[in-house]
Amino acid sequence: MHWIRVFAASTVNAAADFAATYTWRTWTFAWLSRIIAQVLFFTLIGTLLGSPDKQRFLLIGATVMAIVAEVLFTCASSTWERRAGTLPLLVASPGDLLAVFAGRSIQWVPSSVATSSVCLLVVGPFFGVHWTWGTALALVPVLVVTAVTTYCFALVAGAFVLNAMDIRNIVANVLGALMTAFCGAVVPVSYWPGWVGQVVTLLPTTHGLRAVRALADGGNPVGGCVAALLTGVLWLVVARLVLHRLAEHGRRDGTIEFGDS
Amino acid sequence: MRTVLTGCWYQLLVLRRSPADLMALFVAPVNTAVFLAIVRHADRPDLVGHAVLAPGLMALWAIALITCGELIDAERFGGTLEALVAVPARMLPLLTGRVVVVTTASLFAFAESWLVAVLFGLRVPIPHPAIFVISMLGTALAMACWAGVMASVFVLARSARIFQNALGFPFFVLGGVLVPVAMLPDWVRPLTNVVFLSWSSDLLRDALKTAPVQDFAGRLTALLGLAAVGAGLGAYLLSAVLKRVRSLGTLTYA
Amino acid sequence: MIDEYAVEITALRRVFATGKGLRKRGPGHVALDGVDLAVRKGEVHGLLGPNGAGKTTLCKILSTVLLPTSGTAKVLGFDVVGQTSRVRESMGIVFGGERGLYGRLTARQNLKFWGALHGLHGKALRTRVDTLLERVGLTGRADDRVEGFSRGMKQRVHLARGLVGDPAVLLLDEPTTGMDPVAAKDFRSLVGELRAENRTVLITTHDMVEAEQVCDRVSLIDAGRILATEPPAALSEWITRFERVDVPAAPAEVVARLRELPGVGSVSTEDGRVRFETTQEGVAAQLVRALVDEGVTSVTTSKPSLEEVYLHVFGHNGMAVRK
Repeated sequence: MHWIRVFAASTVNAAADFAATYTWRTWTFAWLSRIIAQVLFFTLIGTLLGSPDKQRFLLIGATVMAIVAEVLFTCASSTWERRAGTLPLLVASPGDLLAVFAGRSIQWVPSSVATSSVCLLVVGPFFGVHWTWGTALALVPVLVVTAVTTYCFALVAGAFVLNAMDIRNIVANVLGALMTAFCGAVVPVSYWPGWVGQVVTLLPTTHGLRAVRALADGGNPVGGCVAALLTGVLWLVVARLVLHRLAEHGRRDGTIEFGDS
Repeated sequence: MRTVLTGCWYQLLVLRRSPADLMALFVAPVNTAVFLAIVRHADRPDLVGHAVLAPGLMALWAIALITCGELIDAERFGGTLEALVAVPARMLPLLTGRVVVVTTASLFAFAESWLVAVLFGLRVPIPHPAIFVISMLGTALAMACWAGVMASVFVLARSARIFQNALGFPFFVLGGVLVPVAMLPDWVRPLTNVVFLSWSSDLLRDALKTAPVQDFAGRLTALLGLAAVGAGLGAYLLSAVLKRVRSLGTLTYA
Repeated sequence: MIDEYAVEITALRRVFATGKGLRKRGPGHVALDGVDLAVRKGEVHGLLGPNGAGKTTLCKILSTVLLPTSGTAKVLGFDVVGQTSRVRESMGIVFGGERGLYGRLTARQNLKFWGALHGLHGKALRTRVDTLLERVGLTGRADDRVEGFSRGMKQRVHLARGLVGDPAVLLLDEPTTGMDPVAAKDFRSLVGELRAENRTVLITTHDMVEAEQVCDRVSLIDAGRILATEPPAALSEWITRFERVDVPAAPAEVVARLRELPGVGSVSTEDGRVRFETTQEGVAAQLVRALVDEGVTSVTTSKPSLEEVYLHVFGHNGMAVRK
């Protein structure tokens, strides 16, 4: 119960940051249009290849990767905690660090669910991705599962860059690009050597994407969602360990700054 | 000229301390793998050139957008802009030097892409080496000119900053960095024609094809013309920035 | 023993590695060099020392964000290394400066967040937050964002944040840094209230006047060692004893004569300005009178700096080499 309350209290921070980043207008015209352009960029490769199937495949893959890109902003927003100088106070408080950080960057989850819903439901039909009322309604929860479980993974990345603030954006962008390559967004996972397939099985995004594709093809997304949730929990546990290790390491080498010194 | 070199040296120092400014160089090799995987999976060896060139062009644009777009602003933030302005008539060459270094560094992305192609076991021959090199130089020049525009725009209009992150992919589409603009609907052509990247990417891709390059002189002229427009606009905007700093004594946001 | 002391520190030592990355070698920097300190329950204890003396290192260890190299530290009988969760529950931390608050949140939201971390919720949390806002005088600005606050107001939010968990022990690290004199005065009366509530307060400062005014006892720290623990009266005595008298210009023979007065410690001249440092109470007043009699009318007196007092009281050893 305490965990949930700390998490909830931390989401207030996420909401405040989001409100400071965007207005409704800038979110729509700057952010949403950027995501649509990104999805179109990949979809047009399908056009270049002259294959409607590839168009569909790339549109869905690029949309889910847009979720990844946005959720990985967690790398940046986690370090805002260090910038605010609150890290020592958090470590020295009786609250759980994971609960704080899990609430801290949650704003990217609803935002990415919104952008990806628009891409799939509004842009999708122009490129052969069609929905019935039923599948459209089912799509949103599947996207929520994908974004939330990807967020669990992003929390691990965010915890790592807390001690390497300079490279927070590099980590986020390289991870995003790697996942675009290997998680089945642009080519099937089976295109890559077998061990790559085994590694990406550990990533919730791979399963979330599989669920979205299944739904778009009129199939059942439940299997993908369950796998995404299971792997998501796994990464949440890892995030907790990494944050704990960060705090303990900081206590040993004195890297947890205090006030201005 | 000496001021240009000072700008170069200064920018090299800045880059050495902040690797994140050249983030696109870290992403470019992975992007190459993404695009090569797509064209190979589709069994289209004729499109390997597209896949190898695109990450370089994207890196060039992204670095100009993020890094150059923040050149002046970082000085403002650090409180050193006023000091720089106080050195009369030095701002333009100084900025030029810095932009040249950033642009040159970003060209490294093309080499990275080429290396990734080699790792994929692919050879990327260049049947028209002279055209390729000239087009590449023209592209770098145009990019440097337009980077100057970005540097000033983001200072003059604060609201533009929020669009900074958003100006990547729309221009990757309009600049035809991977999918030639010829494949886009006709109604966007007026738009793509004024984006220098669209001329660059078409020229560079044609230089990788065995077929003779059509109307090279005309297309190069278009590219250089757009570079000149960028240079003029950049110089004009910079003078506007300096005027504002001088009249207000500082560069407070509008 | 455990019942009597809120904070017990024994032979505490902390050495920081020097150099970066894998090249950490060499003797390292000794930030704390065998500190012994005992703070009674309900006491306001000052830790007075110049910058770099080891005050913040000590605070970090007590607040469980830094491990000691050797020695022990206990808060309410709980070890800061092994029993961190018990220590964290019973301690509030406040540090000076602008950092440590969420600028985009309101004062109330900030307090609610930290209250939730301390396990408060619902009505109890709301009541606690309201009470604290009232107490630090921020009720009128409770729903404004902290980023728009003045430094003094931010400091008040900090203080309220430190109290939100109702801690038995409060750690104040240079709390008045950057506060204006009025805010600093308010702060002092607040520390008085904390004492009345029987909370234990450990406060670090480099301001002798502040230490003298709010503390029950003051430990003087320098170069990672406690030099002495004194009642505040000792400080006030030093402050008046080691006063300074400055004149922009004075005839050389007058200076030479005054130099011989008993209780005048040192006389230094810089760019014509002359500074007399006294070593006895009341001598400063004598000096001022003598100077005015000689026709030198532009005379200022000032309180000695902490470094000067250290030099006078502890000699050169007291100011051991600081890096």
